[in-house]
Amino acid sequence: MKPFTYVMPTTLAEAGEAAKKPDTIVKGAGLDLVDRMKERLQTPSQIVNLLPLKTEMAGIAVENGELRIGALTTLTQLEQHPALANRALEGLRHSAASTATPQVRHRATVAGNLLQFTRCWYVRSEAHRCLHGGRGPTCLAMTGDNRYHSVLGWMDCVRVHPSNLAPPLLALGAEYSTVLDGKVRRRKLSDLFPSEPRAQLAEHTLEHGEIVTALHIPVQPEGARSSYCESREKLSHDWATTACAVRLVMSGDTIAAADVVLGAVSPVPRPRPDAAKVLVGKKPSDDLWKKVAELAYAGAVPLSHNAYKLTVGKAIVREALEQAAR
Amino acid sequence: MTEPKKVLATFQVNGEPHEVAFLPHKTLLEVLREEMNLTGTKHGCELGECGACTVQIDGKPILSCLMLAVDAVGKDVRTVEGLANGAELSQLQHAFADLGAAQCGYCTPGILMTADALLAENASPTRDEIKQCLAGNLCRCTGSLTIFEAVELAAARCRGEKAEPSKESIYGS
Ligand SMILES: Cc1cc2nc3c(=O)[nH]c(=O)nc-3n(C[C@H](O)[C@H](O)[C@H](O)COP(=O)(O)OP(=O)(O)OC[C@H]3O[C@@H](n4cnc5c(N)ncnc54)[C@H](O)[C@@H]3O)c2cc1C
Ligand code: FES
Ligand code: FES
Repeated sequence: MKPFTYVMPTTLAEAGEAAKKPDTIVKGAGLDLVDRMKERLQTPSQIVNLLPLKTEMAGIAVENGELRIGALTTLTQLEQHPALANRALEGLRHSAASTATPQVRHRATVAGNLLQFTRCWYVRSEAHRCLHGGRGPTCLAMTGDNRYHSVLGWMDCVRVHPSNLAPPLLALGAEYSTVLDGKVRRRKLSDLFPSEPRAQLAEHTLEHGEIVTALHIPVQPEGARSSYCESREKLSHDWATTACAVRLVMSGDTIAAADVVLGAVSPVPRPRPDAAKVLVGKKPSDDLWKKVAELAYAGAVPLSHNAYKLTVGKAIVREALEQAAR
Repeated sequence: MTEPKKVLATFQVNGEPHEVAFLPHKTLLEVLREEMNLTGTKHGCELGECGACTVQIDGKPILSCLMLAVDAVGKDVRTVEGLANGAELSQLQHAFADLGAAQCGYCTPGILMTADALLAENASPTRDEIKQCLAGNLCRCTGSLTIFEAVELAAARCRGEKAEPSKESIYGS
């Protein structure tokens, strides 16, 4: 790692001021950042450690009925918190519980998970130079070994967004709060991801020095159930090859409202509203799931090594729907 | 911006204070091994993918290869060197030795620290709970089965049961 100076702020205001300095990056637990700094893909001269702000920025609380999840809340806390032990939030709880390994979950923060850098093996390797990350002229995965890359919504870079938490949070209608120059802003979670995920853009839309302080999950309607399913090569340690989060609002045995969000198949997590709206007013059935799975992958264009993602991804959509409806 | 300087800090490791000077970009794994000579904690993949570097922070197993040492200051750090009581091995270490749950032994310190944290929380873990708990520790030699059996044996002995390893687990069936 390249040496850096380390700032341990005592207040959020202090953190915000330090984070605005040039060549500075903020850090949660550092699981993603330390890894990238070891590869010298990230060589900041200053790091602002957010962990000293845990008292104000970690933990889960019910505020005016909605759930406030502090940015520094760990995945273990998310998995174990009683506020998530219900059918409406099961998709989020399960996505946290199935991320990585117990050792990772004990430290990984919610914000760090949403903001982690892509796992593309070209751009994460010191030996390769990609357009994403600003070190080379093109996306090397586009014509290289792209078995773990995008099949949907890609432009000039086929990286995938790796976060487990993003799909269920989007399906649940979450929002996020940030602070920049002392100003607090709250937006829809979809605004955190670029609408046109070009190679030169980061995984997220945060400005330099902007700090995510919390996630907010609105009160879920009566009859809401969520689920999260993913395919992967290993039972543990592994990122998803395809993922799907679903929220269904049931009214008796009829689906009154639905959200379907895909993960790990596009440079950003992808809500699929055209697939979701087909569910509304219908009763659960495998035929319906099949139709929705096809629509969720409508327009998908596989690369040279990842056509399997279409078959597997559709099966995962059906499984997520089945689990939410069950 | 000022040049990075060494920081002087006191770590609490295995209940003892260790005062060390280190650069803030060093990981806890590096500082434990290189500055404190606590080389029981192993240096594996350095990517978070093997668990060989697992230590306990405030009783929870974490990866020391992805934790900056500065972040461990003021915390209760426990490494494999802290498991034995003087010359007396812990029940978990005894069980691993009795069953031959280590072959090359490279994964063992990380596995012991992970399993020790489990037994502190759960005196009677099921096989499934043990598997879940050790899902972040890779072993390339044993095939993991004897490791699960050793954790079960240690748990039984900690509960005061007179448990002995089965013949099958020592000699095979
Ligand atoms: C072996 C292994 C397997 C894994 N498997 C999975 C998996 O299956 N699914 C999955 O989703 N993830 C997986 N992960 C990734 C893991 O979840 C992330 O690395 C972790 O959540 C990052 O959190 P952190 O607090 O360490 O973030 P950091 O590394 O501290 O930060 C990550 C990024 O976010 C920025 N950042 C962090 N917090 C803030 C904030 N509050 N405001 C603004 N910017 C911020 C940092 O600047 C940095 O760019 C895995 C990791 C490992 C090591
Ligand atoms: S060395 Fe830390 S997980 Fe492999
Ligand atoms: S005993 Fe060799 S890796 Fe586990």
